[in-house]
Amino acid sequence: MEDWSCYPPIEPSNFDLIIVGTGLPESILAAAASAAGKTVLHLDSSHSYGCHFASLSLQDFTDFLQTHSKTQSPLPEIEPSSGECNVLPLVTRPVYSSLEVNVYSPEIIEKSSKFSLDLAGPRLMFCADSMVDLILQTDINQYMDFKSVESSFICEGDDCNLWSVPDSRSAIFKDKVLSFTEKNQLMRFFKLVQKHYEDKSDEANAKISDEDLESPFAEFMSKKIGMSSKLKSVILYAISMADYEQDSVEQCKNVLKTKEGLDRLILYHASIGRFPNAPGAMIYPMYGQGELPQAFCRRAAVKGCLHVLRMPVVALLVDKDVGSYKGVRLATGQELFSQRLILSPSYVVPSGLVRPPNPLQEGINDMGTADAKQKVIRAICITKASLKSDVANCLVFLPPQSLCPEQQTSIRAFQLSSNVAACPPDLFVVYLSSVCEDVVQGKKLMNLAIDALFTVPVSKDPDENCTEHDSEFTTTKVKPTLLWSILYVQDQTAVEIDTVSSTFMPDGTLLYNNLLEATTKLFQTMYPGEVFLPKATSSDTVVEDVESDL
Amino acid sequence: MASRRRMLLKVIILGDSGVGKTSLMNQYVNRKFSNQYKATIGADFLTKEVQFEDRLYTLQIWDTAGQERFQSLGVAFYRGADCCVLVYDVNVMKSFENLNNWREEFLLQASPSDPENFPFIVLGNKVDIDGGNSRVISEKKAKAWCASKGNIPYFETSAKEGFNVEAAFQCIARNALKNEPEEELYLPDTIDVSGGQQQRSTGCEC
Repeated sequence: MEDWSCYPPIEPSNFDLIIVGTGLPESILAAAASAAGKTVLHLDSSHSYGCHFASLSLQDFTDFLQTHSKTQSPLPEIEPSSGECNVLPLVTRPVYSSLEVNVYSPEIIEKSSKFSLDLAGPRLMFCADSMVDLILQTDINQYMDFKSVESSFICEGDDCNLWSVPDSRSAIFKDKVLSFTEKNQLMRFFKLVQKHYEDKSDEANAKISDEDLESPFAEFMSKKIGMSSKLKSVILYAISMADYEQDSVEQCKNVLKTKEGLDRLILYHASIGRFPNAPGAMIYPMYGQGELPQAFCRRAAVKGCLHVLRMPVVALLVDKDVGSYKGVRLATGQELFSQRLILSPSYVVPSGLVRPPNPLQEGINDMGTADAKQKVIRAICITKASLKSDVANCLVFLPPQSLCPEQQTSIRAFQLSSNVAACPPDLFVVYLSSVCEDVVQGKKLMNLAIDALFTVPVSKDPDENCTEHDSEFTTTKVKPTLLWSILYVQDQTAVEIDTVSSTFMPDGTLLYNNLLEATTKLFQTMYPGEVFLPKATSSDTVVEDVESDL
Repeated sequence: MASRRRMLLKVIILGDSGVGKTSLMNQYVNRKFSNQYKATIGADFLTKEVQFEDRLYTLQIWDTAGQERFQSLGVAFYRGADCCVLVYDVNVMKSFENLNNWREEFLLQASPSDPENFPFIVLGNKVDIDGGNSRVISEKKAKAWCASKGNIPYFETSAKEGFNVEAAFQCIARNALKNEPEEELYLPDTIDVSGGQQQRSTGCEC
């Protein structure tokens, strides 16, 4: 029998807000609403925190994907409510598809619990980005440790040489690939951008015109700066991290404007050196991304939020006459009520729910992550060797058209080692992702990327394949051999804001910026006038406050 | 090189709701007690400097923040603990019976490398109530359980009177210090995002 059967009833039975699911957006919202003085009940059917943003053991990881790629079988008959409410069964929808697991080395499975695999990988933080700011502002850095992502590379040429991204002055100086002219050009460009931002107030010194700022970034770099296509590619895909091929503006799904490109470049540069002992621009939480929702949930708990794991919600309760939201029914049969409800993206908002005539829908389409047609293809590869010798944690970019002429999207790979506790010692975990619209095309591309970076064993014995296939080409480097891999397609879901709101699936970017922007908006739409996660007070004084409260 | 783990000792306090976890922490660190019970809100962790053999350590004592009510403490809470304090109320049978569940939950979630020798400490709290007349668990019974689990040190305390609290935490600190940090996961290259405010890894670098 499940644990929840022996839970005592939840008290009280009325809340300002009930949140179902402990993904990162839901957890941030729990922390924000609790900090704003709302009474919050936070539920999850799982035994652990994180939902689609969790870090899981290898076995739990595949189980989670399998569970969430099935359409839920219809529930047994729902009992009518004892109160003044109608009962609408709550069902989940599949959000993952095309799941494909390859086990080349069965002993990996035996080490399952030593892995901490991110469902929403690859994802990391720039030292100067808004997620790091929020972590510091809420003091949740006390609950977490971070490690540096040492370097980033661009995958180049047919044999996939990894070339260090010349992202800073010292990196440009040390670079062995760029010509002297290119180095000069890049230095001048970085200087120009810096000047532009420093001298914002001084019109005469503003080096980049408003017109240029609105123009496509790719065009600006080639026409106004005269950059080689190689340099342009570095800046577009490895620094500004554009998702789509940017050279043909007409066909591009998402043209990066000069202003956006420059903002990301500035963020990148502000990140280098923000923390004295972080050598690179990026950091990653030890034990994985799944630490973030847990840290926000603890922050919420400190502010009074009530957490109940292993507690499925089976139905919504709606007003008998009007059909508007009233509360939820738990798997235990208990009925709880709230002003508002937030559902994780795997739940379908029942069609029988009547929305108030004046919903809070405005601004929904510009919520960043709302493109529901777009999917993200993700893969994880486990190997015994690093993609680059002597490097533990690094990013690798495979820009559009680097794998084949049809490649329209940028593919990113993120390697982590045991020093962030992602895997057992002497192994490496590599996350890959790309946005995609067509699943077949996306999978084909992802397999090309995996082939480019790794040796995929033909037989099930990895050791047989360690010898290079192309032994006649002495220059061919030995690629790490795959021990285990998984490939899956993840849906994107739209944000819905109402008395019953839905959060969203992880987006296709490497960062948390879009997620945070959408979450903040959701909070502000729900609770206009409330401050979103104000600066935390020191924990020592908080305990004393409790006493004076009594 | 000394890691921050050697200077900072993480202690977590587990046990059923209402046994006095927050009060024990508060009595030890702030020497304060409040008679009125309210499920924990606002407690995060408390820190206290302790000295051993001429070296200063920071004892970081983590409260459950109320997440124990529905056994919903995440794995992050348990991770990296140097000592686990199990608390029960000598006047409530259920809280004693649940000690074993809390111990097992800890071992499962924290998965210490040497579970047999991981330092636990058991506190039987609220011995002051009704002059001890309402207690349902005898000291003998509690000690027998502790002995059966690998000789866990046992203290009877009263957070209200401050009885035995100091002695219990001295033992907690000593045992936390004896706990060898897992592996080199924590060693020096974690990023100091707090801008050095906490001075975690400074101090003696010998």
